[in-house]
Amino acid sequence: MKNNYRITLLGFLASLVLLLSACASSSAPPAPAQVSPQGSTTPTEAKEKPQSEKVVHIGIVNAPITLNQINNQGDSASDNVLALLNDSLLDINEKFEFLPKLAQSVETKDSQTFVIKLDPAAKWNDNEPFTTADVAFTLQLALHPKVESNFRLNFIEGLNDTGKLDEGTAEISGLHIIDDHTFEVKTKTPIDPLIFKERFGTKVFFLPKHVLKDINPEQLATHPYFQKPEVTIGAFKFASFAKGQYAEVVKNPNYYRSVAKLDKIFIKVLPATNLVAQLQTGEIHMNSIPVGLIPITDYEKVKSFSNIELTSGNPSVPPELFFNVEKISDPKVRQAIAYALNRGLIVEQLLKGQGEVIHGGIPSYHPYFNREIKNYAYDPDKAKQLLQEAKWDNGKPITFLVPVGNKIREQAADILVQNLKDVGLKIDVQKFDFATLIQKVRQGEYDLTIFTRDLYIEPSSYFTLFKSSNPGNFLKYKNQQVDELIAQGETEADPAKRHDIYNRLQEILHQDLPALAVYSEKRLLAVSKKVAVGKPLDLGTYNNVNEWDLNP
Amino acid sequence: MFAYVIRRVLIAIPVLFGITVINFLIIKLAPGNPVEMFIDPNTPKELLDAKKELLGLNAPLLFQYYQWLSNLLQGQLGYSFSTFAPVAEMIRERLGPTLLLASASLFVGLAIAIPVGVLSALKQNTRFDYIMTGLSFIGTSIPQFFLGLGLIYIFAVQLKLLPTGGMTTLGGSGGVGDLISHMILPVFVLGFVVAGKKVRYVRASMLDVLKQDYLRTAQAKGLHAFVVTNKHALRNALIPIITVVAMEIPLLLGGSVLIEQIFQWPGIGQLTIQSILSRDYPTLMGLNLVAALIVLVTNLFTDILYSAADPRITYR
Repeated sequence: MKNNYRITLLGFLASLVLLLSACASSSAPPAPAQVSPQGSTTPTEAKEKPQSEKVVHIGIVNAPITLNQINNQGDSASDNVLALLNDSLLDINEKFEFLPKLAQSVETKDSQTFVIKLDPAAKWNDNEPFTTADVAFTLQLALHPKVESNFRLNFIEGLNDTGKLDEGTAEISGLHIIDDHTFEVKTKTPIDPLIFKERFGTKVFFLPKHVLKDINPEQLATHPYFQKPEVTIGAFKFASFAKGQYAEVVKNPNYYRSVAKLDKIFIKVLPATNLVAQLQTGEIHMNSIPVGLIPITDYEKVKSFSNIELTSGNPSVPPELFFNVEKISDPKVRQAIAYALNRGLIVEQLLKGQGEVIHGGIPSYHPYFNREIKNYAYDPDKAKQLLQEAKWDNGKPITFLVPVGNKIREQAADILVQNLKDVGLKIDVQKFDFATLIQKVRQGEYDLTIFTRDLYIEPSSYFTLFKSSNPGNFLKYKNQQVDELIAQGETEADPAKRHDIYNRLQEILHQDLPALAVYSEKRLLAVSKKVAVGKPLDLGTYNNVNEWDLNP
Repeated sequence: MFAYVIRRVLIAIPVLFGITVINFLIIKLAPGNPVEMFIDPNTPKELLDAKKELLGLNAPLLFQYYQWLSNLLQGQLGYSFSTFAPVAEMIRERLGPTLLLASASLFVGLAIAIPVGVLSALKQNTRFDYIMTGLSFIGTSIPQFFLGLGLIYIFAVQLKLLPTGGMTTLGGSGGVGDLISHMILPVFVLGFVVAGKKVRYVRASMLDVLKQDYLRTAQAKGLHAFVVTNKHALRNALIPIITVVAMEIPLLLGGSVLIEQIFQWPGIGQLTIQSILSRDYPTLMGLNLVAALIVLVTNLFTDILYSAADPRITYR
């Protein structure tokens, strides 16, 4: 009897192990099984793939979180996939020129009424025509007060200051449908066409009315369509999306422009170290910017890979030092800090020369970058002198908040701290994850912090932060002259006059120094030599992805 | 025995409830919230407020918990704040790969640890023993990420024998062979670490048993040496091991965060880290619930196994 018991025990133990492995193997396959609906290649050859199917793998480091084309949640990783699935009215190239896409033309005579002509051939990937009805449907839905979207269209007549429709209004008074392929948008006041073309032309993606016409706006975000957006209007269409792993898109045979030459694109999520390893092994064909950064520390290594063409992009949006102006109120102290920093050393050694020192948040290749400004040079003596003049108490600790995650930025921050200590300042460094850091910054629990803002095409977006009336102005910066110039810049429609305004603004801000750019990195773009045509753009978009091709 | 199990399950319910309350409070106490992740200063404050309202973050804490709990009782874990996919579905997708990785590593780890531990004990203070305890020392102390990256470098980058990561070849037709080739490295790393720890337990426990009187009796009876070690010594030595192994299961199932990160294994660990960083409250609560359940169930299992393994232990 007792013996039996022990035998059952052993059987039990064994079956537990079996059970664990059995239920694992039975539950594992479903995830990968959906990967290839028309999969025909054998697993061993999958990596080489010389046969019929043309597949490109793009490596990124941050995982895309959503495929919702009207609400990317500010996530640039999601933009990578969204840009393959959706077309906007216009494309923008690296020279900041707008090119026709869904729209044949965007014209205005008075900078207030914009006439948009759609490409009459445009159609959804299920062959339904794309018309102005889809445009109106998308805008009415996305701007509904209960719907979250990343459209920033508050300049359109009929929308409130937050860029939403008022409760109870269904129609946008500034939107006039003329015929199936022509519509007109009226803005509240005349605006620089650049604003219109960026925010409406390149940042708005569309929803298929024929699929979603009965959707309830209040439950839009959780609608199954956004988990599997099968009907979209891009060169590629949705195939599968495994969160945190990859997104797979296949070519859209019904594309209204020339049908894509590639059959498939995978956007693959992987850590930065593996990104480099997989470029070398050929498992990925290219990285993507800004969410698939190759660590600059690996510059020489990647350069030596014989299968990879490595280029440097334009110097990107810089990480900036932001001052809590209420705590460090004397501009002289802020200037002293600028003089104390050896930013050239960061570019030379940390970035291996792949970058430059600039004065403000606007990158140097941006049309509104002010080239006349003389940057603060590295001059510790001058820094000490200014600190003395300002009667700064060197014993007073400066709380410096550093976000973790971007290794280069963290290392740069270490150098900055050393520089500041060298001129006698007392620095209290605190590192946090981004969510925590932002909360502290918003509550004013900091003296100095560092992070990177987004790249904007429209120049006014760089300066909203410094507006004294903006509740998001965590710097607590107040300068009447700056406020006036910002307001002028936002309402001025003439590009030449705007250039003057923004040059002036950059000068004042560089003098007053609520924020200081640290370095502007030339981000690395690696593309496999197997790729004949194709490269993600510096701006984080893909243009003419339908023309991408692999070498035979 | 049956009454005991029922009682344990009934006790587990309030424990689980307590765990969710504490988790909920801790998650909410963490600074930052999902809405303020928007750093874009051009986002109007009204929009941020509207989003908070939409996500129900403006309600009192107690009410938020009550809502979560009442949803749970209706079998709903809610929707993720970042992907807006159902939380239950997100966890289900991740649980499979984690179970697969965990059970394979546990199996490999024990398959190495038990024979090595036993032999080490039998051949105490020989060269074999020294080498094995040395290796197990390396296994316990080597950082997983170091071993993982080193192996990727050798086997994937240099020798190109194995993939650098992931669970399947993207665009490949899948299949068991493909899956196994992706599993070799992560399973080896985890298995090596598990084995490193367990070898020492098995060896120590075996040495204890070998000193017992009943073993001498068995030998004196003239039983075959194999029978003595296998039947009399090993079985008794394994009883304390059950606890140690059982403690390992929740750790492995909770997702080996580092290994999943390095090998891009699409498991629970990766999801947990992403949810923490984006302050995705519903997903975190769901993950915590699953983790708590796993721990409670494994503990119960261990206790039952104990009584099965050692007849002297009875539960009433």
